[in-house]
Amino acid sequence: MKILQQLQHEEDDGGIDLTPMLDVVFIMLIFFIVTASFLKESGFELHKPPVQQAPPTEESKSIVIKIAGDGQIFIGPRRVDIRSVRANIERLRAEQPEATVVVQADKGARNHILVGVLDAARLAGAADVSIAPLE
Amino acid sequence: MDPFSAGQTQEDDSAIDLTPMLDVVFIMLIFFIVTASFVKEAGIDITRPKAETADKQDKANIFIALSPNGEIWIDRKRIAPAQLRPVIEKLKAENPQGSIIIQADRESRSEQLMQVMDAARDAGITDVAIAAEGL
Repeated sequence: MKILQQLQHEEDDGGIDLTPMLDVVFIMLIFFIVTASFLKESGFELHKPPVQQAPPTEESKSIVIKIAGDGQIFIGPRRVDIRSVRANIERLRAEQPEATVVVQADKGARNHILVGVLDAARLAGAADVSIAPLE
Repeated sequence: MDPFSAGQTQEDDSAIDLTPMLDVVFIMLIFFIVTASFVKEAGIDITRPKAETADKQDKANIFIALSPNGEIWIDRKRIAPAQLRPVIEKLKAENPQGSIIIQADRESRSEQLMQVMDAARDAGITDVAIAAEGL
């Protein structure tokens, strides 16, 4: 009985009841844990210049790679295999080191071929790779 | 018996000191608030194309998925191509520094990719990346 009285007395005196604040803090903690999503995605950046800004006629200054709807890849007039795209870009870049790479993809071209060509261009060391639709 | 010794006996007796736990809970709360980025997942599963030069994209928070049959998915909803720009603008308003990751399926077509990139540029987002699986 004496202890109970002492407890009562102490609470009235100084201590602030932290329980409601603790409840709120825990609920906020649970909310942020639940909504937190540590989503990691790998990939690379894409550049697509606006249509009016991209002159596809200046083929002397840029290496143009065309992807047809059926997945065939053309560099200039020649058809090349996906595995030799990198070597071809390296050769062309040796001739014109500051050339940019433009990948023109047909509407129906599959994106894994597009990504493969972009990957090859990046592997060949091309800094400025952009994509454009093929008319 | 004075109040001080009464408090002492009470602490020893029954009450647990909550202060260290409160510290930990607050630090966790701050951590989860700071790392919360409210990522908008696309909502469908895709097969990523492979690329050797893929690197981690950790600042992206708008995910746009392209399915093999030409559908575009944003934030667990299927989006018509004409609706792309308003939807992206709305997401950009929620995430002003938002950058986009296009999760294009291997077999998706480049037509949808171009549509998404044009809509992103119209909405004012220059930071667009394509998801690819590293080797």
